Amino acid sequence: MSETVTLTIDGKEVTVPKGTLVIRAAEQLGVEIPRFCDHPLLDPAGACRQCLVEVEGQHKMLTSCTATVTDGMVVKTQNTSEEARSSQVANLEFLLLNHPLDCPVCDRGGECPLQDQALEFGPGRSRFIEAKRTYPKPISLSPLVALDRERCVLCARCTRFCDEISGDRQIELFDRGAEQQVAIAQGEEFDSPFSGNTIQICPVGALTATTYRFAARPFDIKHVDTTCAHCASGCSIRVDARRNKIVRVLARDDDEVNEAWICDKGRFAFRSPDAENRLTTPLLRGKGMEPVSFGEAFEWIARELEGKKVGFLTGGRLRNEDYYALSKLARTVFKTNDLEGSVPVDPWTQGWAAAGGDGVTYEDVDSAPVIVVVGLDTEQESPILHLRIRKAASRGAKVFVVHPRRTRLWDVAEHVGCRPGGEVSALTGHAGVERSLTETASGRAVVLAGTQLPVTLGGSVAVWAGAAHVRKFAGDHAARFALAPRRANDMGAIRAGVSSSILPGGRPIWDADGRAEVEAAWGAVPVEKEDTAPPGGFRFTSAARILARAADRDIDALYLVGVDVLRDFPNAALAAKALENVRYLIVQDTHRTELELYADVMLPAAAHAEVDGHITDWEGRDRRVRPIRGPIGSSRPDWEIFAGLAETMGATLGFATLDELRGEMAGLMSPRKEGFPPGEPRGPETPSHGLTLFTYPLLVDEGRLSEGADELKEAQEQPAFVELHPDDATEAGVEDGAMARIRTEAGEATLPARVTDGIAKGAVFVPFNNPGLQANTLLSGSFTTPVEIEAAEPAAPAPSAEEGEA
Amino acid sequence: MTDFPRIITARWTEPYLPVSLERYLETGGYAGLLKALAMQPGEVIETVKESGLRGRGGAGFPTGTKWSFVPQDTGKPTYVVVNFDESEPGTSNNRELVEHDPHQLIEGAAIAAYAVGCHTVFIYCRGEFLYPGAVLTRALREAYEGGFLGSRIAGSDYDLDMVMHRGAGAYICGEETAQLESLEGFRGQPRLRPPFPAIEGLYASPTVINNVETLSNVPHIIERGSKWFTSIGTEKSPGTKMFTVSGKVQRPGNFEAPMGTTARVLIEELAGGVLGGKALKAWTPGGSSTPLLTDAHIDLPMDFEDVMDAGSLLGTAALMIMDESDCVVDATLRMSRFYAHESCGKCTTCREGSWWITRILERIEGGFGRDEDLDLLDNVAGNQLFKGFCALVDGAVSPVASSLQYFRDEYAEHVRLGGCPFRPAPVPAEVGA
Amino acid sequence: MAPVLTPDLREEAERIKARYPRERSAIMPLLYLVQSVEGHISREGLREVAELLGITTAETEAVATFYTMFRKGPTGKHLISVCTNLSCKLRGGGELYEDAKQALGPGCEGVTEDGMFTLHEEECLGACETAPVVQVNFANYDNATPELVAEIAAKLRAGEQSPSPSRGELPADLRAASRLLAGLEPEEVAT
Repeated sequence: MSETVTLTIDGKEVTVPKGTLVIRAAEQLGVEIPRFCDHPLLDPAGACRQCLVEVEGQHKMLTSCTATVTDGMVVKTQNTSEEARSSQVANLEFLLLNHPLDCPVCDRGGECPLQDQALEFGPGRSRFIEAKRTYPKPISLSPLVALDRERCVLCARCTRFCDEISGDRQIELFDRGAEQQVAIAQGEEFDSPFSGNTIQICPVGALTATTYRFAARPFDIKHVDTTCAHCASGCSIRVDARRNKIVRVLARDDDEVNEAWICDKGRFAFRSPDAENRLTTPLLRGKGMEPVSFGEAFEWIARELEGKKVGFLTGGRLRNEDYYALSKLARTVFKTNDLEGSVPVDPWTQGWAAAGGDGVTYEDVDSAPVIVVVGLDTEQESPILHLRIRKAASRGAKVFVVHPRRTRLWDVAEHVGCRPGGEVSALTGHAGVERSLTETASGRAVVLAGTQLPVTLGGSVAVWAGAAHVRKFAGDHAARFALAPRRANDMGAIRAGVSSSILPGGRPIWDADGRAEVEAAWGAVPVEKEDTAPPGGFRFTSAARILARAADRDIDALYLVGVDVLRDFPNAALAAKALENVRYLIVQDTHRTELELYADVMLPAAAHAEVDGHITDWEGRDRRVRPIRGPIGSSRPDWEIFAGLAETMGATLGFATLDELRGEMAGLMSPRKEGFPPGEPRGPETPSHGLTLFTYPLLVDEGRLSEGADELKEAQEQPAFVELHPDDATEAGVEDGAMARIRTEAGEATLPARVTDGIAKGAVFVPFNNPGLQANTLLSGSFTTPVEIEAAEPAAPAPSAEEGEA
Repeated sequence: MTDFPRIITARWTEPYLPVSLERYLETGGYAGLLKALAMQPGEVIETVKESGLRGRGGAGFPTGTKWSFVPQDTGKPTYVVVNFDESEPGTSNNRELVEHDPHQLIEGAAIAAYAVGCHTVFIYCRGEFLYPGAVLTRALREAYEGGFLGSRIAGSDYDLDMVMHRGAGAYICGEETAQLESLEGFRGQPRLRPPFPAIEGLYASPTVINNVETLSNVPHIIERGSKWFTSIGTEKSPGTKMFTVSGKVQRPGNFEAPMGTTARVLIEELAGGVLGGKALKAWTPGGSSTPLLTDAHIDLPMDFEDVMDAGSLLGTAALMIMDESDCVVDATLRMSRFYAHESCGKCTTCREGSWWITRILERIEGGFGRDEDLDLLDNVAGNQLFKGFCALVDGAVSPVASSLQYFRDEYAEHVRLGGCPFRPAPVPAEVGA
Repeated sequence: MAPVLTPDLREEAERIKARYPRERSAIMPLLYLVQSVEGHISREGLREVAELLGITTAETEAVATFYTMFRKGPTGKHLISVCTNLSCKLRGGGELYEDAKQALGPGCEGVTEDGMFTLHEEECLGACETAPVVQVNFANYDNATPELVAEIAAKLRAGEQSPSPSRGELPADLRAASRLLAGLEPEEVAT
């Protein structure tokens, strides 16, 4: 219970928590005090001076954005004080002295706080007759952000964001006095993955997005409030479209989730729904991959797959409703549990997370005294979770990061380096982590783990077990644990039962009671094994196993839904072999990809921006998805395709509308807590010798959803590289910047080397999917693999003189 | 000629040479520190409180009270910062105090540090003060060698370090929170208060910031007692004050005189009167940030209260003297240019307002003034006053508002003539050239 | 490109950092250190200071551009500063500035053609009792006259002994003064 303070603003009494700023207290009364530099998520600055108010007993006007309330304070705003009003008018005159009157060509025109205030109460006519200060315009801060300095009112919101929120202090105020300006160091770029937020919080048109410059006006765009599909952060966004084409994405305020921020991928990677390779109609191999109707495609599938063994694989980009329909389709129509999503985590932990986990939220991260991040590069993999961790750190939280690379939390966290596969033993053996967790009150510390976390057992790297170990560790230390999946709706997929071993609502398939609840709604659910209790022999399926069986022709058909196994599965060779060998391949996707070469049928799915539904963020919080437009061509929402196919196959999923689907689904979504004991994972070992390659996708890469985001890629995408520790580089004879050849069991690649002490000894990192390398060509099923590295000759072969020696 | 007690200038010699440690000790130096070290820190604060010593940097805040604000239970170190960033136009006495008698400052700072429980003093020395900084650096070395700094100073069990830090050219860094920002390695822009430096100052630790002249008085107060100090000067402004008299006087200089000494004595006796026997026209009582006064104020006693009652401020007690042949508009323009140049840029009021006022004054002085410009200037200055982030903007308003108050006719004359009446041949306005 | 700070200077930089409880406080002396090598502060110099302090180049440049004594562009070997603020102006500082411009020659408000001088119009230098004031490499000349400025310019140009400042030594050039400002040389003064 916090103390409160009662004060009077414009004659009205208001009671607010102690420490509240006057400007916020006024907001509670519906009194809007003009402001520019004030931002509720930034520290008070008092720089723009627009929010001056009169406070009884003070001989000076006070800036309401810096003054905290006191008991009995009497505040008069512009509404009741002539002095406050005239001070605000005068200040606006100061701000407009050097502000160009270029509103008609300014992107901010029509949605500009300065323009709005000038119109509302500005002096109307300027008394300034001299020449305005001018600058060459605009300057490029990055391929994404342009700066028109003459429009800037120097509120410093942008630089304070970079200082206080992202920590990426690449833009700063240079010079002083009237020459003070926002600037970047010469020859450098504003390549923070959060750069776009500065554009959004700019109260004038000084910072603009190159993707939106001169693109539209507020009056000719329509918009929708929805949720970002790029990662599991679950950010609330607004999508703007002009003439049915998406032109802009903005962060929406959502205190509980993304506050007011989104990452640049969420903001700038919006063109994929309009990409030229959109799949707009079903295609059928038998018709020479010519367009066919859905009816014809469904009939073909129904005919050919009748009685066949089908394996389903999907990714993390569908909605909860789609996943639910998929789970039901696989189990009730195709009578199979061979269904997997893209979370490479053991079924116990998946099921536990699907059943609600420890219920860790952003707010819990925010207020946690200790945060331990294991095997997760937060900036690259869950940027808004990253910002929350930074916020917690700035409030004094102790943060540990256990990771082979030094992540962007380096300046606010203690990094515990380790070899890939050694995360768990580094965590459990770390005295500082142990001490901090021991000193923290029960249930307040938060431990977060990535979903690709490997663990070394019996001398080899295990694919699944890392998260389970971390969960156990957290439980042993009375800390709360959360899994932080990478993809936007990995969590929704496992909750909806997209897993061979988990039914909707986190019901283990081996649990007869849970199964009965599902069967009450669905009818019979297949149980392929006679022994139905783990670990006594129940054989879990995995994406790898499904692909292996396809490659071995043990199953007849693969049905890929929104997943490109050639790119995403950590064993490119196995994926290719599966596609080559499997008798039937059904591909349901938004875009035409190289899967088309193998597919018998292509089914066009509506894009994220075209559908209604929900996704579930890493917290387990359902987030609403709304369409900005209808599906392109004859594409359909995924769930509708599943329902339509079921009908054609003479079955039914039992719902014809989203409402019906949701109604049925809601009945199965009550979280079940039992059935997923943390277990006693075998003791992890420290990988001891040799070099270990590991990989994960960087935020901006060649991922499908970033298609068309040229400016973003120009600004922030890096060509593939191999990163290694100086000691390892010396031993291998590899120099920083020179080409290095890496060789794994699965393949080899030649890449520019980055030699840095920002990576642990023994660890070798390559990005998963950056230009120049699809890292899954080096992998054999895990995201971690032994590797050899050596210096490579320059790429161009030497001319003939060398040939004689060969 | 009036004979004033010399306290903090007692060791000044002509031609001036910095007082060495040897000579400082011979003339009773460090006795105050030794005495203080034998007292409880609280007693030292109490003595300074009783002396009524007020900060000499401009604001006149009671020094002992400032020290008493420092909490002793934060678990953080406490810092003392010596504000040797003297840069108020017209003010040069801190520089001369250090050039002559650097140990007096070191001793004062050491006593202050002891009183507030500080073990590291930073001296923020103005960047342009290359030589005074060198004098001080050498004196610091002597003090270390002589055992007055370092561990267990002067035979006590008290440790004290003093670190020189050079500024790099920014007037605003004389403002105490801007100085702390600068010392922490940032742009010298002022901080929000609260928290006040006494609670969260340097490195978010309790911090006392004192001016050179203020600290130079401290050894004498400790040595001779508060009663002695209150016997000098006025009741509310005890002690002597360093006055810088510059501009159009016969003998510009830094003069030590009791608080309350009249401007007439300072100008006519100590500085030898207006240069060339001309008539006094206008003067600043405390540097360019204090409203101008005129010949009518010549008998004003120079202390905090009396100057304030006359509508100005004692400030840094820097009297810049203008005679009848000097153009007040031109002088105001020069001062306004200074504020526009030195505005840190943080707040709109100062950054834009001072820039605009300078443009208007340039027009008037250059012969492009309009009748309405006088009201405009007055109004713009009024829109700035007390509305900026820090007091720099209020200082910028001072010359503009006061010159309009006392010399409005002179402005009007500029407009009427289309140029400056004090220039030999006013350049006629060429509109559209 | 060769680094601005040699290994020796990097050792000095570490000693400078050690003066402060938090190393960021060392940014100003480190910028002086770079200026003592380059005669101004180049982009590379900014980058090196940033790297020494573990901050961004932009953060470093933000500080460097705030303070007038850090020279961001090409600067003459000697920096001549003439105060024209009110106390000096009343005693001829404005005219002295114009005279200095003549004495130093074309381009002096940037760099003179021979690279010898940069003339800088100064705000109050805190030596008002000696107005008008001129500083050469931050050494004061009291009650300066056009003749004095002309003589200093001529002597420095000819490589001859220049008139001594009113107190202390005349630093050999701006670089030498910057080194003193970084707090590195033992500072000898007569007592």
